[in-house]
Amino acid sequence: MNPRTEVLELSAPVSNLLKQELARLAESDKRIDGRGRFESRDIILETDCLYNAEGSAKVTWGDTVVYAGVKFEVREPWPDRPTQGSLMCGAELRPVAGLKYEAGPPSPESIELGRVVDRGIRESGCIDMDSLCIIPGEKVLGVMIDIHVLSDRGNIFDASALAAIAALKTSIVPAERFDVGEDYPLQVQKTPTMCTFTRVGGRYVLDANEQEENGGEERIHITLAEEGHLHSLQKGLKGTFTPTEFAEILEVAQNRCAELVNLVKSKEA
Amino acid sequence: MMGGYGDVQLLRDDGLRLDGRKLDEMREVQIEAGILPAADGSAWVKHGLNVAVCAVYGPMEAHPRKIQKQDRAVIDLRYNMAPFSTSDRIRPGFNRRSREISKVTAEALESVVLVERYPRSKIRVEIEILSAEAGTRCVGITAASVALADAGIPMRDMIVGVASGKVEDTVVLDLDKAEDNYGQADLPMGILPTTGEIAFLQMDGDLSIEEFNLCMDYNMKAAKEIHEIQMDALKRRYESKNGGA
Repeated sequence: MNPRTEVLELSAPVSNLLKQELARLAESDKRIDGRGRFESRDIILETDCLYNAEGSAKVTWGDTVVYAGVKFEVREPWPDRPTQGSLMCGAELRPVAGLKYEAGPPSPESIELGRVVDRGIRESGCIDMDSLCIIPGEKVLGVMIDIHVLSDRGNIFDASALAAIAALKTSIVPAERFDVGEDYPLQVQKTPTMCTFTRVGGRYVLDANEQEENGGEERIHITLAEEGHLHSLQKGLKGTFTPTEFAEILEVAQNRCAELVNLVKSKEA
Repeated sequence: MMGGYGDVQLLRDDGLRLDGRKLDEMREVQIEAGILPAADGSAWVKHGLNVAVCAVYGPMEAHPRKIQKQDRAVIDLRYNMAPFSTSDRIRPGFNRRSREISKVTAEALESVVLVERYPRSKIRVEIEILSAEAGTRCVGITAASVALADAGIPMRDMIVGVASGKVEDTVVLDLDKAEDNYGQADLPMGILPTTGEIAFLQMDGDLSIEEFNLCMDYNMKAAKEIHEIQMDALKRRYESKNGGA
């Protein structure tokens, strides 16, 4: 279907019809694109795809396209952590990503996206911040991951998290350029990956597409690493859920994240 | 960094350039059309080590109303470099350079698109530079042209971005990063390949009239080559839309 026709269909007066259709499909446990409730769209992961980034990844997740790039900088450490480097992950939702996005200062949505992905990576402890120290109290490395969403057709969170960790795990620290020794691969100990569930037609589904997001309700983002521990959780948009519902999707997330970890690891050297 | 002449050797003793190209040889260009499903039209262009992606949305109603033109469509264009596109990270957001490039690129496209067909509307053109290695504004123009065609927006001609310049007192086609940084002149152009008209022109540095004319010849020749690659990408896109038939 032409994307513009689809957008027209989703304009305010029509969205109730979409909601009704999603609810009707849910009664027989079906989805609008024919997938199973916990079935993801196909994912293509490419790494080392951009010349100037020290690590890069492109994720094609169904019709959603996201790039992530890693850059390093040499900077002074924070006074209270003289031996620790730093990690920052940001996301841009620029107008290129879809009709609904407009130019301007960072939107709350893009800040949430960047911060949820950031927490999953940071809190997994996948990077030993002390290993980023060059001279204690004087020079440390800052690692910056930038997420660039180019086509949003649903679930940019999982696509962004996958692109970010894949770019990070294939990064080369440009030590020669900073005059601090030879280039070396960044040590990343863990592989945090994200699973997002969206309430569509009353129940949670994995990996909602654009239509399901437009006609759906709240979403839950779960980030797990390979040891099976939670590293970031976030509930977004209006709605509530029960502990029973959460237990069900958490079990799905455990299996799904393990698959995503394998996908990332298949790209490592 | 113009005027760095003499500090850095940019031509080899055998007369070829540092990357082995001849004086009038451009870097390799690859183009794909229709690569962003969310957009009405899109293109991916790899030109040497540059990578640009362009999305086109519209024509659509122009908001806010004060930007509307009663007799034609406006081109609402943003040229943006991704934070990871250069050797040092760029802080996200607009700067003076990207604003200027956006303005003159939009005006170049307005000269090619049949904007009179869509009064009071706007066409959004989003150029994202993912990897920058000299010549990104030209790569952006080449990508925008393919994305506009992919969106089915009528144009008088395609438009091709291409640059020539001067290094070590010698005119060369399609400057790479070292040549751009340490060369003596840079002449980027947006050329309508069928008619030979010029819709985009910038220049900085130092060129004699003879050197300028040679740059122009080189640019015209390269525009024809890139035009073929553009058309090939669009034909492949058209084939794939019909299930490879």
